[in-house]
Amino acid sequence: MKIAVQESLLPHRSRRPEQAIVFSVAHQEFAIAAESVQEIRSADSLASTAIELEYVALPKVRHTVERAHHTYYVVNAGVHFSLPISRPTLVLIMRQLRVAVLVDRIERMGEISGVFPLPRAFAGDERRWYRGLAYLEDHVIPVVRPSGFLTDEEFQLLDRATLASAVPMEQRDGAAPA
Amino acid sequence: MTIATESRNSANTAANAQSFVLLHVGETRYALTADIVAELAPPVRLHSFPHTSPLVTGVIVRRGRIVPVYDAGPVLAGKSFSAHRFYLVARRAFGAAQELSAIPVNGDCELATGEVQPAQLDRHPCVCGTLQVGAESVDVLDFETLVSSLPLQREGDPAAAQGGVQPSARNNSQRNVHPEPQP
Repeated sequence: MKIAVQESLLPHRSRRPEQAIVFSVAHQEFAIAAESVQEIRSADSLASTAIELEYVALPKVRHTVERAHHTYYVVNAGVHFSLPISRPTLVLIMRQLRVAVLVDRIERMGEISGVFPLPRAFAGDERRWYRGLAYLEDHVIPVVRPSGFLTDEEFQLLDRATLASAVPMEQRDGAAPA
Repeated sequence: MTIATESRNSANTAANAQSFVLLHVGETRYALTADIVAELAPPVRLHSFPHTSPLVTGVIVRRGRIVPVYDAGPVLAGKSFSAHRFYLVARRAFGAAQELSAIPVNGDCELATGEVQPAQLDRHPCVCGTLQVGAESVDVLDFETLVSSLPLQREGDPAAAQGGVQPSARNNSQRNVHPEPQP
């Protein structure tokens, strides 16, 4: 055993640098690959195109938004990560996924030297939530996996709930339309 | 003949003796086999983020590596000890792979050599034996069992024994469960 001096720099050879967006939710910072985000909008600006879900199948998804003829499920990142109550002001609209994410604010955008694997000690849902960890300005920040916001099962659940809410009330009750 | 037998027993004892690192969790001293201990790290910043793995409190950065930190206090004593600022870094096996892991300690670590005796029956499953250090009998910890244990359940906190998201949400009685502002 040895008592070692403090050391903080991570070697980043063999790691691929990438552009990332660092956002915060309830004072907790997360990074996401910039290439996975199609658009960043203020929550207010999307209010006119947001539709409140009639059936809340998942507590973290209460709205959909329409963008460029596509419907996105709006995931509250605070609820997704079970963080304390916060006031989200921005929406990150994902690329190639039907997901938009409510976050509090963008902290910065820049290059991260690479994504380090999540230690095996982390064995829960976080393995789905995160691609790994980034070391940025003396902070270790989880790098979120865009596909981790909604699983395939959750998409199916939301799709069924959305479809059910689109069916007229008379048909849902089993009565023939007049 | 008696002397010869004692001599042989002494030789066997010496051969069976192992090295241990003695560490404090709360007021209690425990022993950990020195074979798996990598270093005693000084107080460094603990980085925490949401996750659901029981006992893991976050990560520290040591020697260019990200090292997960386990809080042994909830397993051994039913509570965390905020005074623990140093980190005992040990190797944890995941199949054929190994990963460095850290547990917070108060910095008073010692080396000891001795032969492990069977653990007392009333001990936590993570105690794999007993080591006699002077007049003191010290529980020897099985690191793997320790870090994969669930925290002792505290009164009024059933979530402590069942995991749950850590660390931020666990410290806040309010959860983000009410409707969010409409985008």
